[in-house]
Amino acid sequence: MNVWWVAFVWIGLALIASLLSMRLAISVALMEIIVGTIAGNLLHLQPNEWINFLAGLGGVLLTFLAGAEIDPDSLRQHWKASLAIGFVSFVAPFLAAMAYAFSIAGWSADASRIAGVALSTTSVAVVYAVMIETGLNRTALGKLILAACFVTDLGTVVALGLLFAHFNAWLLLFVGASILLLPLAPLLTRWFFARVSVHTSEPQIKFILVLVLLLSALAVQANSEAVLPAYLLGLALAAPMARNWDFMHRLRTVTFTLLTPFYFLKAGSYIALPALGSAIGLVAILLLVKIVAKVVGCYPLCRLWHMPHREATYTTLLMSTGLTFGTISSLFGLTHGYINQQQYTVLVTVVIGSALLPTLIAQSFFKPSTEVEPLATEATESVP
Amino acid sequence: MYRRILVGFDGSDGARKALDTGLALAQALNTQLFVIMVEEDLPRYAITIGEYEEVKHQRDAYFAQLEQEVLQAAQQRGMPVQTHIVAGHEVWAMVEFIHHHQVDLLVIGHQGHSTLHERVFGSTASALVNHAPCHVLVVK
Repeated sequence: MNVWWVAFVWIGLALIASLLSMRLAISVALMEIIVGTIAGNLLHLQPNEWINFLAGLGGVLLTFLAGAEIDPDSLRQHWKASLAIGFVSFVAPFLAAMAYAFSIAGWSADASRIAGVALSTTSVAVVYAVMIETGLNRTALGKLILAACFVTDLGTVVALGLLFAHFNAWLLLFVGASILLLPLAPLLTRWFFARVSVHTSEPQIKFILVLVLLLSALAVQANSEAVLPAYLLGLALAAPMARNWDFMHRLRTVTFTLLTPFYFLKAGSYIALPALGSAIGLVAILLLVKIVAKVVGCYPLCRLWHMPHREATYTTLLMSTGLTFGTISSLFGLTHGYINQQQYTVLVTVVIGSALLPTLIAQSFFKPSTEVEPLATEATESVP
Repeated sequence: MYRRILVGFDGSDGARKALDTGLALAQALNTQLFVIMVEEDLPRYAITIGEYEEVKHQRDAYFAQLEQEVLQAAQQRGMPVQTHIVAGHEVWAMVEFIHHHQVDLLVIGHQGHSTLHERVFGSTASALVNHAPCHVLVVK
């Protein structure tokens, strides 16, 4: 098949996923995973070298975007509670899932580590959508939960970046370059954006790409993962990016149009449906392990910060969601040979399940009784 | 008989008929009128906050136009109206609003915008008739 046929098939599948996503009001990434799974199992869709590159770049930019979405003010405002809840929300499922995979499921040490990392995550975006729809994003509780989610994801990304790294000169160089560049990045970006205006050739996006790719190259050289510097760079640039909606919109357009479809279609294509049938019990148990570990870890801390039972349970369940970094960690494990395709299938299915199940339980049974008063901009009274 | 009337509005033909009826009823009965517009097609299980925000940005712009339409229609009748734009599931957002604002009568169109999911599992109108804790007037 020539390159244009390959491109036609992949972009065609991405188009189908987009249309389904709009029609069903479900995330395009989730639809791409589902379409990729069907295509992988029925059409034997297989990524090649250039698809792997585009998918990899998509994953890195997606992680940068996730890092840049952090609200530094909320983190500062609730730093004690968010650090404590977020850290425990990472550590508890990481240890529990790793221990279960290693001791009971009989996975190798590396595969168990990947399981721990993939199931330690919290989906900030899933939680954010719930917050908006309940009005909790305007409350202190909502801001605290979101800040804690960011801390959990930071733990996941750091674990993924360091657990498999080779401790050699390249790692030292990567750490050194990160320590030097990350604090300077906001200043450099502001300086560059002030001097180089918006243009069709998108020099601003290229500038961000140069920073991301430099650190990613050093990270990969040290056998670390490119998403670590991408997330940290996003975090460092969160404040200037928050004030630049137009730039973020353009970067998202580029990423979601031409890069992440390859990433999520590829992630879906590796899911082996026949393997899922025989491992459905393990999927259910790992999902339970993740949720129980989050509950055991987070619930007491929420109570310690004076949350009533209902709010504490709601927060804990939302902290049990996961999607973005769970998928990224699983794909990292598969492509580096730490897990096999059956283990990958199990982990991604658990990750998708963890995006759906805790949200459903939280929304159905533990939704806090917030007064959904309209914001000034959302309510208008017309008195002639 | 009715002290607070709520109209569900999504810009569809059915919803426009419901708005006309709601305005006429509120005027005739001299009652308080609310209009709720629910941004229901925001992506669930988004992968980044930006994915959700991009769609919400578009929906905010669309519903701001609808809000102007509602305000103009109310102004033409000389009626005060309070408009609310909320994100969420159309049925549950309206039911919650009804509880919170102690609405007596909900006025909705027979068929509004609906997702494939709703077409499979039942229309918004029938779900509201089943779940709204007040009288429901479905305008055809």
